[in-house]
Amino acid sequence: MKLDLSNPAWHQTLPPGRAVAGDAPVAACAFSKDGSIAAFALGDGRVRLLPGDINAGETPAAEPLHGGVVLALVGDPAGDGFVSGGDDGRLLRIATDGTASEIVNQKGKWFEHVAGHRATGAVAASAGKTAFVAKGGEVKEFGPHESTVAGLDFSKDGSRIACAHYGGVTVWSIGQVTLPPRKFVWRGSHVALKWSTDGKFIATGTQENDIHVWRMAQATDMRMQGYPAKVKSLSWTADARFLYTSAQPVFTAWPFSGKGPEGKPPLQFGEEGAGLISVVAAHPAAEFVAGGYDSGELQLGDIKTRRSVVLKMADGSAITGLAWSPDGYKLAVGNEAGTLLVLDLRR
Amino acid sequence: MAQPQVPVTVLTGYLGAGKTTLLNRILSEQHGKKYAVIVNEFGELGVDNDLVVNADEEVFEMNNGCICCTVRGDLIRIIEGLMKRKDKFDGILVETTGLADPGPVAQTFFTDDEVKAKTRLDAIVTVVDAKHFLGQLEQGDEAEEQVAFADVILLNKTDLVSEDELKKVEGKINSINRYAHIFRTQKSQIELSAILDKGAFDLKRILEFEPDFLHHGHEHDHEEEVKSLSLTADRPVDPDRFQKWMGALLQLRGPDIFRSKGILAIDGAPRRYVYQGVHMMMDSDWGTPWKEGEKRFSKLVFIGRNLDGENLQRGFNDCLK
Repeated sequence: MKLDLSNPAWHQTLPPGRAVAGDAPVAACAFSKDGSIAAFALGDGRVRLLPGDINAGETPAAEPLHGGVVLALVGDPAGDGFVSGGDDGRLLRIATDGTASEIVNQKGKWFEHVAGHRATGAVAASAGKTAFVAKGGEVKEFGPHESTVAGLDFSKDGSRIACAHYGGVTVWSIGQVTLPPRKFVWRGSHVALKWSTDGKFIATGTQENDIHVWRMAQATDMRMQGYPAKVKSLSWTADARFLYTSAQPVFTAWPFSGKGPEGKPPLQFGEEGAGLISVVAAHPAAEFVAGGYDSGELQLGDIKTRRSVVLKMADGSAITGLAWSPDGYKLAVGNEAGTLLVLDLRR
Repeated sequence: MAQPQVPVTVLTGYLGAGKTTLLNRILSEQHGKKYAVIVNEFGELGVDNDLVVNADEEVFEMNNGCICCTVRGDLIRIIEGLMKRKDKFDGILVETTGLADPGPVAQTFFTDDEVKAKTRLDAIVTVVDAKHFLGQLEQGDEAEEQVAFADVILLNKTDLVSEDELKKVEGKINSINRYAHIFRTQKSQIELSAILDKGAFDLKRILEFEPDFLHHGHEHDHEEEVKSLSLTADRPVDPDRFQKWMGALLQLRGPDIFRSKGILAIDGAPRRYVYQGVHMMMDSDWGTPWKEGEKRFSKLVFIGRNLDGENLQRGFNDCLK
């Protein structure tokens, strides 16, 4: 990778990019599968699409697709566009021209979480206590769980999904053979979930300001405490050696290579932000990481050199969405004030 | 960026008391305000409105192992979701089902940092069915507890009972919770300004409303019953001793104490110290300054079950300078 994430010049000027006023709080952002489009889920029902190429002509402002807030957004693993979930109870497939078609409608519920699996083209989403998996025109239901699903993710090979809820995590096989779900129990409310990129661990953030990690093979688990706030954002590095967590003033990565993180402190590096990291996104290929703060800063870091650069966003509003392009050269950033940013970090 | 906190009103009341009628009015009347309404039964409201959110009353216990520390996880999620909207709300109403304990709802607003940052608990409003309230008291603890939690009570369906019966119901309400405002209503007709954005939970305004009778050893003292009582003191309070006493009291008696509120003259402090609690969770702040020459006093209010006023007063007296 030829990225220069500790370029000191970026302290003063943002890297080359495009900033657009989205006019509504950003709930999430994502890149399309081929990286040609960045999309932003907005608090007024719109999904704003911007070209991944920062020099290309801007696409026109979009019409609302959802009734209220677009709560979740991913690049469509089975197409060139996106999949979005909204508080109008609809799960939509969005084409590159901004038009949408409905995958599932659960009126009265909120589609709060959506995940995609690139290799299989499957989409998983949750509304209330039920998870849905859409693949090749077919939609399957999993659940209901004991409480509303508060996070979901695919296994590495796409054969299973994990759903976080009160009391732990439920893992479902989503293939042709129906197997009983496997449960991973830990008391309390789990509010975020990420399956490790090597498939060996499932991590959750809990209501009690800690994180919980289950080792799939032995079904053993571990708990990391001491966060000042709920960990709502988790991100595994591409090589699964580290798990980045939000809710700290600097980058915080738990080491999962070798014997795992038991008894070890997390790796912490970077400059201290005024607030806490609200969204963290590990780079899709290399040792880089991007962190957005609830105090508005954006920090880019390199875990190998422990160097980083803080980019001051103009409006100081909490960062609420971060996404790397699949090739890892572009970064989409959105904040509560509705600033939509696509940065080109190629050196 | 500091945004104003959205006021949240918790609406409780026994089945059929008139909560749905009230919510329908709030959603359909022209009042120029925008309220989000969080309900449990989507179908019950006649209006199809995107400001109505369906909740599932998902209660969970915090891991500290205390039975009092149950909160509504669904509310945390819903409020976080509502705050992502472009159009902000003038207020949020949370309806609880007729048989639900309002405790977990109220506790949610003491517990979750994000909810606390973006919203504030404004008042607990309980709708009471004037005709059936006395009967409902016999059927279980719910009707009594809902009144005990209330900051504001709508004594509804007054057209269905005589003045004598009404007085009896009001007397009973007073014996449970003498610190709530009571409004007599028919068909839940009430000026919304009387119940919404009242700041009843606002620590700075706490105890502004003073019932003109003080309560000591009231006429009947069945300890099993829910009642309210107040403790007063003219001498300044020692903050360390008070914290220790109150902490231990709520730790031990939290399940029985539905509400506690207080205004304290702390020894040497220029401002009033105010606090507000639900079961064992509480929140405190510095209130308005004492004026020059103003007589400083402290007052605590408890609403709960098995309250021993004399014992509490003794404990409080030990906290005084």
